[in-house]
Amino acid sequence: MQKTVYNKGSYNFRNNVTIDWCPGCGDFAIVTAVTQALSKMDMDPTKVVAISGIGCSGKTPHYLNIAGAHTLHGRAIPYAVGVKLANPDLNVLVMGGDGDMLGIGAGHFVAEGRRNSGIVVLLYNNAVYGLTKGQAAPTMPLGEKVKSIPRPSILGKINPSALALASGYTFVARAFSSEIAQLSDIIIKALNHKGSSMIEVLQPCPTYNDVNTLDWYRKRVYKLENDKSWDPEVNSADEDEEKFSRAYETAMTWGDKIPIGILYKNNIIPPFTERLTSIVPDYFKYPPANQDICDKNGYTLVDPFKTFNEKVID
Amino acid sequence: MDINLLVGGPQGGGIDSSANMINMAFSLAGYYIFGVREYHSNIKGRHSYIHLRIMRRRPGSLKYPVDIMVALDPDTLFEHMHDVSKNSKVIYDSAFEKFDLSQARMILPDTLARIKEELSKNNLPLNAAGVLEYYHSHGIKTISIPFDKVINENVPEGPSTRYYNTLGAGVTLALLGLDMDHAIAGIKYAFRKKPAVIEPNVKILNAAYDFVDKLGENIANLETYEAKPRMLLNGNDSVAIGKLMGGLRFQTYYPITPASDESNLLENHEEIEYLSEEAENLRKGGLVVVQTEDELAAVNMANGAALTGARSATATSGPGFSLMAEGISFAGMTEIPVVITFYQRGGPSTGLPTRNGQADLDFALNTGHGEFPKIVLSSGDMEECIYDAMKALNYAQKYQLPVIHLIDKTLANTMDLVPEIDVKKVKIEIPEYNNDENNYKRYSLNTSNGVSPYGVFGRDVFWMTGDEHDELGHVTEDPEIRDKMMEKRMKKLETAAMEIPLEDKAVLYGNKEADLTFVTWGSQKTLIMDLIDELKKENINANMLYLKMFEPFPSEFVESILGKSKTVIDVESNMTAQAAKAIRLNTGIKIDNYILKYNGRHMTIDEVLTATKNIIDGKSKMEVLKNGS
Repeated sequence: MQKTVYNKGSYNFRNNVTIDWCPGCGDFAIVTAVTQALSKMDMDPTKVVAISGIGCSGKTPHYLNIAGAHTLHGRAIPYAVGVKLANPDLNVLVMGGDGDMLGIGAGHFVAEGRRNSGIVVLLYNNAVYGLTKGQAAPTMPLGEKVKSIPRPSILGKINPSALALASGYTFVARAFSSEIAQLSDIIIKALNHKGSSMIEVLQPCPTYNDVNTLDWYRKRVYKLENDKSWDPEVNSADEDEEKFSRAYETAMTWGDKIPIGILYKNNIIPPFTERLTSIVPDYFKYPPANQDICDKNGYTLVDPFKTFNEKVID
Repeated sequence: MDINLLVGGPQGGGIDSSANMINMAFSLAGYYIFGVREYHSNIKGRHSYIHLRIMRRRPGSLKYPVDIMVALDPDTLFEHMHDVSKNSKVIYDSAFEKFDLSQARMILPDTLARIKEELSKNNLPLNAAGVLEYYHSHGIKTISIPFDKVINENVPEGPSTRYYNTLGAGVTLALLGLDMDHAIAGIKYAFRKKPAVIEPNVKILNAAYDFVDKLGENIANLETYEAKPRMLLNGNDSVAIGKLMGGLRFQTYYPITPASDESNLLENHEEIEYLSEEAENLRKGGLVVVQTEDELAAVNMANGAALTGARSATATSGPGFSLMAEGISFAGMTEIPVVITFYQRGGPSTGLPTRNGQADLDFALNTGHGEFPKIVLSSGDMEECIYDAMKALNYAQKYQLPVIHLIDKTLANTMDLVPEIDVKKVKIEIPEYNNDENNYKRYSLNTSNGVSPYGVFGRDVFWMTGDEHDELGHVTEDPEIRDKMMEKRMKKLETAAMEIPLEDKAVLYGNKEADLTFVTWGSQKTLIMDLIDELKKENINANMLYLKMFEPFPSEFVESILGKSKTVIDVESNMTAQAAKAIRLNTGIKIDNYILKYNGRHMTIDEVLTATKNIIDGKSKMEVLKNGS
């Protein structure tokens, strides 16, 4: 199989497709942070893919000069997991809004924690459904009234980072779209993490959310890594309980002070891909995407009688 | 030799192992067996049964009344009063003789009311004595076996309930006159994974043969034959085998009856045994099967895996397929090669979760919003399940589109001895990959057949979106590109229609100049083939137009057959004759006669024969079949 050749090092991860997000949108920062991270890692552009669902966030893959799938509302995670498990060589980025990930796609968001496939989920949190004109997203607090909704929201909110922890993601971080360097650094660490990562990106929606504005966030966020004693990494089972509890407590911290940074990183839970090798020993060497399925004449390689021997009556 | 059998008992109560022993013994004795399993959506207790047929030639249908009925619970005696007739034998546990219908907790209220009415009509008491008297008065021989006594005398360590299945099977084998050696071989084979239980089970078998001996039944010794190795497969198994042979390396599923048996079998065979020496030097990994959180994830994860070039599929039934509709539309729009094996059961909604149906043809054809190309094919026997599963994966890759492979519950749960699998019957067709290094257009319009050069994640950089898109895969709403992309995608269906050989779309079985033409699809295929032979004996010359592919539809061929047929009868397991509807839609031809069944039970040859005669005799144009408990 011939492969597309790219010059490493000088590769431009941003393509020339015009971005049509509103001026001031937090999504721009994510594109910048992702391209910075990929450049810094000197990533082979054929080894990384971007997968999104529907909404403003869904457009992200089109703006990146890497393979991209702009899929269905809520279903970015299943697509990403399919890609990752069929070809574990690939780095898989998922871009999804709060509605995409926690409304219509909440089941997949939770299930991915159990799987821990090794994908990186970027959850764009601006508390509104932007592309459909600003309805309340699952991250909007009860009683909040932003300008795009007719009355205060009568639905409660989900805390994405806390839900990610409870679901089993082994890397959970919260970032803020104005802190691009920190976000880019978190993305690099997430891409280097073996299990699945969830990065919640707090960001303004300048068009519809006049409550959680850039200034509103700026006044509240503080970086966890500024506290030198902050160590979210779990490297042995005995430190997990304490670090998990502290991560959860920190994730739930909201209001006048909002912590950003890496909340939790568990290095001991094996990813789904590793679990597969207990069943298919050569899985990493010859994953589903990289196998011979027929001989040179096009005939099957599978011996049905030997493989399904228990069905043979002899 | 043509024996029809019924083994009934509580779900989870050993009827499977009973039938298995009978199957194994007769298989090893050189006979063919054919059977269907009928069961409730229930884990333990409700009445289930296996309907079997044993013949020297390979049967393709089942028949009522049965020759022998084995009742492993009292319910069986009441549920199948009409499934036996004069000279049939009913085997039951003597303990059932004390059974009163007021104890029949697991018989459904309406069924119970019907049974009571029947007994009352015959002035019989509403208990076992009543139903046994019913049998006697209809010339049916009942054989009472003190199950506990026979078992305790031979295997006193018990518990006796563990051996009910073997005793039932043993008495059946003895009554049929199968020699003891083959019966023992069958038991040994059935328990080959549990060698410790072989000895006590053989003791029970001996006791069963002794018991039958003492009955003084005049039993003919059955001839036995040299048996070549054969595979005992059901439809689920066959599709799984075909998929793996066809290069499937990624399968997703969410548990649902009657589809998940396929995925469970594949989960058991993620490590593959290879055919040739040549395979030594090839890249051999194995199969990945993923149980997903729901069917939305199942279809979309399969789509995702397909983006990497892995042959990818999922399997589901009606309720799951409903959830998959959006993902199938996406696969159509973005040209993802994916196969969805669709096991139809009784609908609508949860319907009859464990019963048969062919009511999802319309849905499969019209699934997903918008207009996009897809291939819809259907299988009717084990060999077709195997080779069609291979072909389905080929079609998906070759035309870069979703392929829906229809199976019905009867076929999924049909047990059949398959004498041969030809590993060279279907070639694996690898699609043409993009060779353009830096300017790859995944959706290139520079194609005459609608198929753009294939590209995969991990090799090529390209984009894809469920929005209308340009050649690169970016979102567009440009009206001219929209038209061109719609036309490019739909062109693939024309290409497929041209390239796929006719025999993969529809087949005419039997004499071209027949007086009577059956039209059918799915599991009725082999039944109608048997029926054509039966009708021949009565000097009725019939043939069958058997449909395999509904999209693209073989309109011209169907027209050429039906245009000159004299009497046409459409046979389907649904209420609205959906295949006939597809024929009318594609050819304008309206079929006049129908044999339909929608009670969820498998069709049997006797009822189709009666219905056919009613139609031929002009008594009716529409026959609704009712067989089955």
